Amino acid sequence: MNLARIAALAHKEWREIVRDRLFLALAFVVPAALMLVFGYGLSLDVEHIPFAVVDHDRSALSRDYTHRFIDSRYFDYRGHVKSERELDPLLADSRIRFAIVVPPKFEENLMAGRPAAVQSLIDGTFPFRASTSKAYVIAINAAFNGELLAAYISRRFGVAPERAAALAQPVRVQLRYLYNQELKSTWSIATALVMLVLMVAPPFLTALGVVREKESGSIYNIYASTVTRGEFLAGKLLPYVGISIVNSLILWALATGLFGVPFKGDPLFFFLSSVIYVTCTTGIGLLASLIVRTQVAAMMLTVVMTIIPSVLYSGLLVPIASMDPQGQFEAHLFPAMYFTDIALGSFLKGVGLEQLWGKALALAIYAAVLWLISFALFHKRPRT
Amino acid sequence: MGEAAPLTPAPAVRVQGFGKRYRRQAAVAGVDLEVRRGEIYGLIGPDGAGKSSLMKAVAGVLAFEEGSIEMFGIRIDSEAAAERVKGRLGFMPQGLGLNLYPELSVEENIDFFARLRGVPAAEIAARKAKLLAMTRLDRFTGRPMKHLSGGMKQKLGLVCTLIHEPELIVLDEPTTGVDPVSRRDFWAILAELLRENGITALISTAYMDEAERFHRLSLMHGGRVLASGEPDAIRARTPGSVVELEAEPQVEALDRIQASLAQAESVGPRLRVFVDDAEPEAAVGTVAGLLKGLSLRDLHATTPDLEDAFVALLRRQRLVEERAVAKPRAGDGDPPGDDVAILAKDLTRDFDGFRAVDRASFTVHQGDIFGLVGANGAGKTTLIKMLTGILPPSDGEGRVAGADMHFAAQAIKARIGYTSQAFSLYQDLSVLENLRLYARIYGVARHAAGERIEQVAELTGLTGRERQLAGRLPLGIRQRLALACALVHRPRILFLDEPTSGVDPIGRRRFWDILVHLARVEQVAILITTHYMSEAEHCDRLALMHAGRIVADDPPAALKQALREEAGELLEVATDRPLAAMALLEQAGFAGVALFGRHIHLFARDAHTATREIQTILAGRGIGLAGVTPRPPSLEDVFVYRITALEQGEQRL
Repeated sequence: MNLARIAALAHKEWREIVRDRLFLALAFVVPAALMLVFGYGLSLDVEHIPFAVVDHDRSALSRDYTHRFIDSRYFDYRGHVKSERELDPLLADSRIRFAIVVPPKFEENLMAGRPAAVQSLIDGTFPFRASTSKAYVIAINAAFNGELLAAYISRRFGVAPERAAALAQPVRVQLRYLYNQELKSTWSIATALVMLVLMVAPPFLTALGVVREKESGSIYNIYASTVTRGEFLAGKLLPYVGISIVNSLILWALATGLFGVPFKGDPLFFFLSSVIYVTCTTGIGLLASLIVRTQVAAMMLTVVMTIIPSVLYSGLLVPIASMDPQGQFEAHLFPAMYFTDIALGSFLKGVGLEQLWGKALALAIYAAVLWLISFALFHKRPRT
Repeated sequence: MGEAAPLTPAPAVRVQGFGKRYRRQAAVAGVDLEVRRGEIYGLIGPDGAGKSSLMKAVAGVLAFEEGSIEMFGIRIDSEAAAERVKGRLGFMPQGLGLNLYPELSVEENIDFFARLRGVPAAEIAARKAKLLAMTRLDRFTGRPMKHLSGGMKQKLGLVCTLIHEPELIVLDEPTTGVDPVSRRDFWAILAELLRENGITALISTAYMDEAERFHRLSLMHGGRVLASGEPDAIRARTPGSVVELEAEPQVEALDRIQASLAQAESVGPRLRVFVDDAEPEAAVGTVAGLLKGLSLRDLHATTPDLEDAFVALLRRQRLVEERAVAKPRAGDGDPPGDDVAILAKDLTRDFDGFRAVDRASFTVHQGDIFGLVGANGAGKTTLIKMLTGILPPSDGEGRVAGADMHFAAQAIKARIGYTSQAFSLYQDLSVLENLRLYARIYGVARHAAGERIEQVAELTGLTGRERQLAGRLPLGIRQRLALACALVHRPRILFLDEPTSGVDPIGRRRFWDILVHLARVEQVAILITTHYMSEAEHCDRLALMHAGRIVADDPPAALKQALREEAGELLEVATDRPLAAMALLEQAGFAGVALFGRHIHLFARDAHTATREIQTILAGRGIGLAGVTPRPPSLEDVFVYRITALEQGEQRL
């Protein structure tokens, strides 16, 4: 290893990047932009569902029942309409996603001890939102039933309302959410985005940087010179690893500053893990660039090699644990999962080296393997 | 690198039985050659001849399957073996400046190569200064490489290849796409390196007329070496004589000759015929005999050049595709119409304060072949864009095919045909489908299209290939298809932008046969740009462009005559020590001193006095003089002389 030659290569590469405005923007603006776009756009919280009410009963009890929806922060009340027929155009237009229909004689039946059926219409076009809406409806309805029962017990047996409520619901669930107390999906998403962006941007830059030389023919300067393979790979990729490390700091700042994600873990551990991670993802770009010949092909290949596994197998959308065994196996093959755990642990759980060293080690092995494969694939005297 | 080369007799490069395949396709096979130390060895051949594969293999940047390559006695059979000689080697790949870094400045590029090659920091400055001065790039050290002209990029590439003082340089087509002045500069720099550092060079080129620059060379075609040796020795492999003449009517004369002699072409107003195995006098007699009854002028024999030999070699080895059988005769009923095809008057085009074309005026008549030559960036493309109605002129006026350029751009487009080097044929369509498509694009009536397509296919020698895919055709034939597509709507004017770049000499001859037929028989006006100076000889008139202006506009013969009057005779000096002799002659103040292999070219007002002077100078230093012979100047000489004079004038201002 001749350090002067590595420095010459890295220096040349850095100058090229700085002079090429488009490339420079690609290097620093795109990762931050991705973080902003996804961070604001990809909220998984279901709130403010617009809905309307048809109240055929117009009694005190029906008003009481519908107000439970109107007052909820999960629903946005858009008004009463006269009949079910008027709901259809509203649902069709997506002006409301949910409607509740209270039948006639709602109060009369309930007071007489007869059951009453309340119809709720939910827009099922997005199953995730629909099932969440359904859960809200069931919860609000159960609470209403519980109170009716408690009031009946209280009247019938002459006990205090609190005692009656306890009798009506012998088993209660007591919930406490750990690490993300308010269950803000932004927190986990912003954290996972650090993983996603650092998985996508570094390979992209690297692959373009190397294939650019193949495409133009300047790679022959390397082939024809006395630079060794290792020196070339090190010198060429050093600037890209550097850029990606800076980007990891920018993304960290965006996550904590802009999205308000708390950082509870060990900053040094997280920083070092990030360095290992970007070395690893840069290696993916390097590998892609050695397989293809054109910049377009390099971009396609890195998309396939990075975005798909990091979205599907990182735990970003679907928890790894709830995947089938085959999916879990595949998830372990990609580096995204390990860094997701490191990022979530460092940001939200406040754990560090002690708990996460295994994941960091996995990433380091992954990076080493990628670089070794690339080293073996790169030849200064190729067949074509 | 700086130390003395070991005193082994091993040649710089020895190639034996070399072969390279890509997938199953053989690109090169059975190549043997040997480059001696201190010589400039040439590989000459058209695109696809296998030059690049051979050069990359020699430079140790391409693995190969067959044969062996030795460099300085070291066998290059593995990546590790190749590494051992790379320090003594400089390689410049094909493509003008493509291996340089466009965003970096001239100096930064050089510095990078120097550091990459481990040149000691103390030496970098001195070497850089010397090479920059030699290439006259010293005024542009801070300029980003992407803003250099083609010739400057090529020189910078050379500097970067030389910065570690290699013993052998391998340069892949360094002069392709470079204007003649820069090309001359390039050869002068190489001569100086040869003189000062005793460098060895392996250089490939597609220009046959550069053959004289090499000590020895190999002619390549279709992945094989046709012949190797000194230029004279290669010419001697195909005994015969060339006869030149002017004949009236030319078309009939050419037809009569071609009926019995395979190697004949028209070059502008003249005919040029190669007569196999004939002494000059016998050859003249043969040709005269064939042309009985026609009016002949200036009938004489001349020595064959390398291109003649190349074509003759291919012909003898039966590597030539057969000629198209019969050309369609004239008389498809088009009236000659307005005799003036293109009239340009003070045409000017500005781009943001930069004047790309400056008051260009010229006239092209129907039936004329009008050549436009000039360096990259001289304004040729802008001028053609204005003439074809793509770009409106900023000032001046022009009429093309009777339509005013300012008001009838659409009419112009309908009346002209256009083919460029980068002509976009649809590679996945067959020959016939391409022709049909163009017929429809140009609105040729359906009932007439079939017949016209048959006509142009016959004219361009594509009959029998109608079902082949355009992408699978050899380059020369693909260019003929492009020409055929430009002809389907019977244009009266044809614009051809470097149509023969990279095409082999035989392909170029076929192409020109067709153009001459179009001009002479069908009275089509043809405006063509080319980088091949030998090709410019075919034009009836030649306009030379420089910095947006037309600086000369005359028939080739008149341009050469003017050169004789201004600069004097072109003399070829043969000596036993050309490098030393060259330096002495330069000092003595001779104009245009340039090295051509073992010979020196220079200009002299009076050949007689100059010869005596040269004898005195060389005798004084004990340099043997084999002879001083006058040579006819080429168009390249004209071009270089004119442009150099203009550039010197600009610098004085």
